[in-house]
Amino acid sequence: IYISSLSFNFSLFYYFPPNLFADAKNPNPIVSPSPILSGPSSYPAAMSNQKKRNFQIEAFKHRVVVDPKYADKTWQILERAIHQIYNQDASGLSFEELYRNAYNMVLHKFGEKLYTGFIATMTGHLKEKARLIEAAQGGAFLEELNKKWNEHNKALEMIRDILMYMDRTYIESTKKPHVHPMGLSLWRDNVVHSPKIHARLLNTLLDLVYKERTGEVIDRGLVRNVTKMFMDLGESVYQDDFEKPFLEASSEFYKVESQEFIESCDCGDYLKKAEKRLTEEIDRVGHYLDAKSEDKITSVVEREMIANHMQRLVHMENSGLVNMLLNDKYEDLGRMYNLFRRVTNGLATVRDVMTSHLREMGKQLVTDPEKSKDPVEFVQRLLDERDKYDKIISIAFGNDKTFQNASNSSFEYFINLNTRSPEFISLFVDDKLRKGLKGIADVDVEVILDKVMMLFRYLQEKDVFEKYYKQHLAKRLLSGKTVSDDAEKSLIVKLKTECGYQFTSKLEGMFTDMKTSEDTMRGFYGSHPELSEGPTLTVQVLTTGSWPTQPAVPCNLPAEVSVLCEKFRSYYLGTHTGRRLSWQTNMGTADIKAVFGKGQKHELNVSTFQMCVLMLFNNSDRLSYKEIEQATEIPAPELKRCLQSLACVKGKNVIKKEPMSKDIGEDDLFVVNDKFTSKFYKVKIGTVVAQKETEPEKQETRQRVEEDRKPQIEAAIVRIMKSRKILDHNNIIAEVTKQLQPRFLANPTEIKKRIESLIERDFLERDNTDRKLYRYLA
Amino acid sequence: MPPRSASKPSKKRSNPDSVTSSATGPVPSAYSKKKASKEVDETDKLFDKYANASSGVIDPEGIEKLCSSLEVPHTDIRILMLAWRMKAERQGYFTKGEWRIGLKALKVDTIGKLKKALPELEKEVREPLNFRDFYAYAFQYCLTEDKQKFLDTETICQLLDMVLGSTFRAQVDYLIDYLKIQKDYKVISMDQWRGFCRFCNEISFPDMTNYNLELAWPSILDDFFEWLREKQA
Repeated sequence: IYISSLSFNFSLFYYFPPNLFADAKNPNPIVSPSPILSGPSSYPAAMSNQKKRNFQIEAFKHRVVVDPKYADKTWQILERAIHQIYNQDASGLSFEELYRNAYNMVLHKFGEKLYTGFIATMTGHLKEKARLIEAAQGGAFLEELNKKWNEHNKALEMIRDILMYMDRTYIESTKKPHVHPMGLSLWRDNVVHSPKIHARLLNTLLDLVYKERTGEVIDRGLVRNVTKMFMDLGESVYQDDFEKPFLEASSEFYKVESQEFIESCDCGDYLKKAEKRLTEEIDRVGHYLDAKSEDKITSVVEREMIANHMQRLVHMENSGLVNMLLNDKYEDLGRMYNLFRRVTNGLATVRDVMTSHLREMGKQLVTDPEKSKDPVEFVQRLLDERDKYDKIISIAFGNDKTFQNASNSSFEYFINLNTRSPEFISLFVDDKLRKGLKGIADVDVEVILDKVMMLFRYLQEKDVFEKYYKQHLAKRLLSGKTVSDDAEKSLIVKLKTECGYQFTSKLEGMFTDMKTSEDTMRGFYGSHPELSEGPTLTVQVLTTGSWPTQPAVPCNLPAEVSVLCEKFRSYYLGTHTGRRLSWQTNMGTADIKAVFGKGQKHELNVSTFQMCVLMLFNNSDRLSYKEIEQATEIPAPELKRCLQSLACVKGKNVIKKEPMSKDIGEDDLFVVNDKFTSKFYKVKIGTVVAQKETEPEKQETRQRVEEDRKPQIEAAIVRIMKSRKILDHNNIIAEVTKQLQPRFLANPTEIKKRIESLIERDFLERDNTDRKLYRYLA
Repeated sequence: MPPRSASKPSKKRSNPDSVTSSATGPVPSAYSKKKASKEVDETDKLFDKYANASSGVIDPEGIEKLCSSLEVPHTDIRILMLAWRMKAERQGYFTKGEWRIGLKALKVDTIGKLKKALPELEKEVREPLNFRDFYAYAFQYCLTEDKQKFLDTETICQLLDMVLGSTFRAQVDYLIDYLKIQKDYKVISMDQWRGFCRFCNEISFPDMTNYNLELAWPSILDDFFEWLREKQA
């Protein structure tokens, strides 16, 4: 490698075996030591190459002359050679000769002289070099240093080769520093650490880095060489003389810069700048710093630019995290995520702010009375928010699970703040299944239902949802108003998967009843062909346990209808003895043909009550409220509602009321509205549609739910105590709550009351000594 | 065995109503037989003084008479303590067997001695272990019907006053107040009854700082606690 700069004279001395030249780096004096020189075993023993020798030993013996001046003379030769090497004047040197000289000195026990001489000479030269470097001005300083360093390395290698034997023997045995490391240390001590160079060197480098950071172009190669020099001198030199101060200076720089930015930029811009700086630093390391510095400098940037300003950034008005979330700024959010994940608690900070914002916003959403006016809109808003955050988390936050969890827990929190959420979600589903899903592809239907299921999962009071769902489903089925049977069944399956078969067994029963009723009707008309002439009766026979319980409302059916009903009743009971039928007049509908004053013919779709009222007008032109009440026996609240829908709704007022007020008074009179018109032949007047409950209805439902919960709580308590036999109060509460959690959130006070009830009924007892323990009584 | 004129008539009058298994005591040894029989004699004689001739038991009237002999109001707790000692089963009645048990336990056979023994009895009952038993007994004693498990709140109020009134005046007064005002509980169970006693013993009053709604206290005490807190506010 150094052959290019020096020329060696290889003169072949015939009495030296050829392989001495061929592998000058690995000298192997194959000559056997002379008797005079038999000494310490540091000298290598005779090698096996003896067979190859073809020389006379006597010639070698020549050299064995212990001449005191010999050492000095030899050293002088070498010293001169070192001078020449340093003066770039080594072309005339003979490597072989020099090597031999050094070898002989060591052999004749002048190793120490050689070593100390080498050190002294080199030191002298290095001091000279240092002076030259110090003298350099401006930019030349670094260049000069670099140049001298390269020269030194080359010289050192040559010198090391020459002194190889000493390296391997004398130095080995005396454990002194080897030639090469010694040469580096001398450089370090005499040049790098020279007082006039040390600080100047560091400052020059730091200055260059600063310049580059502020936009100037610098000679990267030069800096690279210098940092490499530091590394070559030893990792601790690199760290102490360069890296540590570099990191401190960088820290200062970024402290200042980040302060400037944060005062002047908005969050998004700041993050862009921080990201840029981070990339730059990594690039810098790649180009002219040691790879191990990368983590350290990135930590500095992360700390100064991000960690120290985390709170301020996240909470920045009009541009911070909340603003980004509200405006779906995916790029900014992604950047924030990537930067913040580099610092401790970075992501936790982002997550916490997102969570509290989400909770606050959600809370406002669900407790705003305006927004809860329309249940369908209410739920749609929830779904929209869910979609929004889903998107944000997947696009900007890399689907980070901790963020998904934070989002889910927030939704769960605020959805349950409004106790009507279960009802509203059921109404939303009802709306979709009645008309919302019309014309939508199956695949999309599934998507919507899955989203609804997601909201369902958040509900803590799933049993309340079940109650409402049943009611709404009943109305849908009975009015025949479901858009898609498949969609209905699909949702039931999803609910079953989520909550178990018990949740849905009754719902499925409802579908079965509908199907069975169809068959029953076929059978009925099949066996009564004479009835096909008169009005058509369709009966749905509902199994009491599966359908929402409604008190049967009394009502007098018109004669034609009640005759049919009786015929059906006897037909049915004929095939199903032991069953009882009760007509649910509040849930039926009727289609009646009406002819009005001017001959207008219309088909009216009405509720059963409405039918009863209207049919009365076949026999009387005018009827008073009291007369209608007497004839139909419909209870007052229902009757009033019914009359209102027949007389007070624009476009549907088939009867006229006197007086024309909105409310039904007990002295009102009713006549047929002969002037009734409608664009359509078929007019729908009946309302058996699911609606948001009124306050009193809501209270009633809530009460029923509470009543239903009591046996469930007791069953859970008994189940748990039966298996555990003895359990303390707190654990019972915890276990029961856990068991019931898929259906509703159990109230500890209520659980306690149930426990007491069970104690009274001798299912459990309190322990005599420890009041907190309960015992199962078999 | 010499005929025991005293005992014979009582045997004739043996009451079918008496539910107590008449513990006639261990078979007296030859020596103490006489002594024992003499005691029983006296005890029985005393019994007869208060017992109803036809039914053969001491009925409420008799108890009233007894009380005036003892110079103790008949709603006094000491009568209840006496009943406890006797393991009397039916409120307002003492059978002969119960009478014997009680008086034997107290080692008395005359009214005078009985009267003197009352303070001692009270002391004994108030010992913690005994009191627990006595307290539960008080509830049990008031159950008149066969399968009855609850007592109405009015009886409870009287009972509380009688049994705990002297030791826990303040608590009892407030509890009675509450029981009269509240509408949720029309009857009280043994479990709740026991709860009252524990409450008085364990909870500092009236601050109730060591009461915890989340522990296993019967709900009625949770409600009492909240009612009282509201009052104090």
